[in-house]
Amino acid sequence: MTTQAMDLARGARLGATKRRRPAFLPYLLVLPILAYEGVFLLYPIYEGLRSSLYRQPLGRPERWVGLANYRRMLGDDGFWATMGTTLAYMAAVIVVVLGFGLGSALVLNRQFRGRAFARGLMTLPWAFPDVPTVLVFLWMLNPNFGVMNVFARTLPWVDSSPTWLLDPTLAKLSVVLITAWKGFPFYSLVILAALQTVPQELAEAARVDGASKVQVFFAVTLPAIAPTLLLLTVLASIFSFKQFTLIWLLTGGGPSGATNTIVIEIYNTAFRFYDFSYAAALGVAGFLMALTIALVFVAIQRRQELEAG
Amino acid sequence: MATTVRSGVAPHTPSRRVRAGRLARSVGASVLVLVVCLITFFPVYWMAVTAIQSSRLSTVYPPSLWPRDLDLTAFREVFRDEPIERWIANSALLAGMATILCVGLAILGAYALSAMRWRGRAVFAVFLLATQMLPEALIIVPIFKIYNEFPLLGISLRESLPGLSLIDAAFILPIGVWVLKNMFDTVPREVREAALVDGAGPIRVLWQIVLPLTKPGLVAVGVVAFFYAWNEFLFAQTMIQDNAIKPASVGLASMISMLDTPIDRLLAAGLIFAIPPVVFYVVMQRYIVAGITAGAVKG
Repeated sequence: MTTQAMDLARGARLGATKRRRPAFLPYLLVLPILAYEGVFLLYPIYEGLRSSLYRQPLGRPERWVGLANYRRMLGDDGFWATMGTTLAYMAAVIVVVLGFGLGSALVLNRQFRGRAFARGLMTLPWAFPDVPTVLVFLWMLNPNFGVMNVFARTLPWVDSSPTWLLDPTLAKLSVVLITAWKGFPFYSLVILAALQTVPQELAEAARVDGASKVQVFFAVTLPAIAPTLLLLTVLASIFSFKQFTLIWLLTGGGPSGATNTIVIEIYNTAFRFYDFSYAAALGVAGFLMALTIALVFVAIQRRQELEAG
Repeated sequence: MATTVRSGVAPHTPSRRVRAGRLARSVGASVLVLVVCLITFFPVYWMAVTAIQSSRLSTVYPPSLWPRDLDLTAFREVFRDEPIERWIANSALLAGMATILCVGLAILGAYALSAMRWRGRAVFAVFLLATQMLPEALIIVPIFKIYNEFPLLGISLRESLPGLSLIDAAFILPIGVWVLKNMFDTVPREVREAALVDGAGPIRVLWQIVLPLTKPGLVAVGVVAFFYAWNEFLFAQTMIQDNAIKPASVGLASMISMLDTPIDRLLAAGLIFAIPPVVFYVVMQRYIVAGITAGAVKG
């Protein structure tokens, strides 16, 4: 079809199909999704909110208690410790994942032989399922035979095998780094894609004018990928906030609460102590946190969409 | 060579010192590439090394960094001692159901978002973005209560793979719609509109024009959905206690807590479970990364 014919067709469409196209069709198309998510996401959120206002001793009917669960939560030092652990874990994961993601993206963005292979390798941790990831790291961190002991003992101040996941500080560090190992390829690949959109002429012109590579990075590259980095920061915060499986299987929240984030706390409260109504209240607190991050994400994305035109 | 990009900038013959500097930088860059690749690859390598060696080598300290012998008994024994085939079959069934549900619904929503302008479209898009961010663990308690007795129908969805696939699909659906919408956006508007003018209805346009043009995107969404359900642990662990219908993620995790399982068997089982997603992600990498990054980079 020629361009002209296409234009004609378009003109005809504006006149004819506007009336012909059924206006209800898009609603019909999204209705199944809305109904589905309504049943499986929105209704549970409502049900969680409702049951957080009740008290339900195991095997007995529930009883309205108003805000008692929330009063208990806000007055509980354990809750605030959990919140602190959650935020610290999130912050650490964000820093490591973005730092390493950016670093590896810059390294892989250069021309070198085997670049396609190196990039392909990056999908490996990303595609690797959570449970086998836990398996191999539990093995690597085994206090007796783990290979990490070999590496750790090459450090001058380490003269015996560390206890890894049994030591609060090392457990925190390990959980963050394992989360980051599995997570960073995603950030790296997204940043790589963003680096590809950085105008090369600008960087080259700056180089000709005598700017050093570091100067070019801060003056040209970084501003160009800043919107992507901002978006990724929010994504990293929500992904780390969501993280359950890795922490649960690595430490279960221990040792002595060192890795007890809010999602772990909810799970333990519900399925170890069978305190469903208090777990529901914790879920509402977590939900408010997730919603805040989600709204920031949506706001940033819409602003960037507007700026992009 | 690493310096070819810049050769156009400096037309004069580089001095020996400059050349030495470039060589040093290119060596430095290669070392960095190597470090990144090592960090990425080592845990998987280590898993494979332990699994393919004979058992006794895994209780030697310090361990050798490369395999000392080849002994695949662990793979044979784990099939003999654990119902691996059944776990894998359960996972495949679960993931298959979740994929069909997710792709089917995502096609409709993505088409409405990509090809149509309607009131409430922006709200729907925001709704999808927001639900995509919802942590599974926050609704595990109400979902568990609901699944014990589905309120409208009075049936239990617990201890059932179709029931589990329903909730998995609910969590992957927003991402599926989003990725597919980006794929559908690549079909030129003129192509769709020409077909509409020729008298095809919007659904026929979707079926006969948009979908055939975006097959890779469909496959990518299918792969992402399939392996989300394949990997999913939290819901599966909470809802399924019955050994006969355990998916592999739960089965594997239950092996961790059995202290007497030899490590090479555990890692062999883990490898078997990890190979399908790794193969599919590597093969489909281009489309998956394109689909997912399109959303993140383009906004």
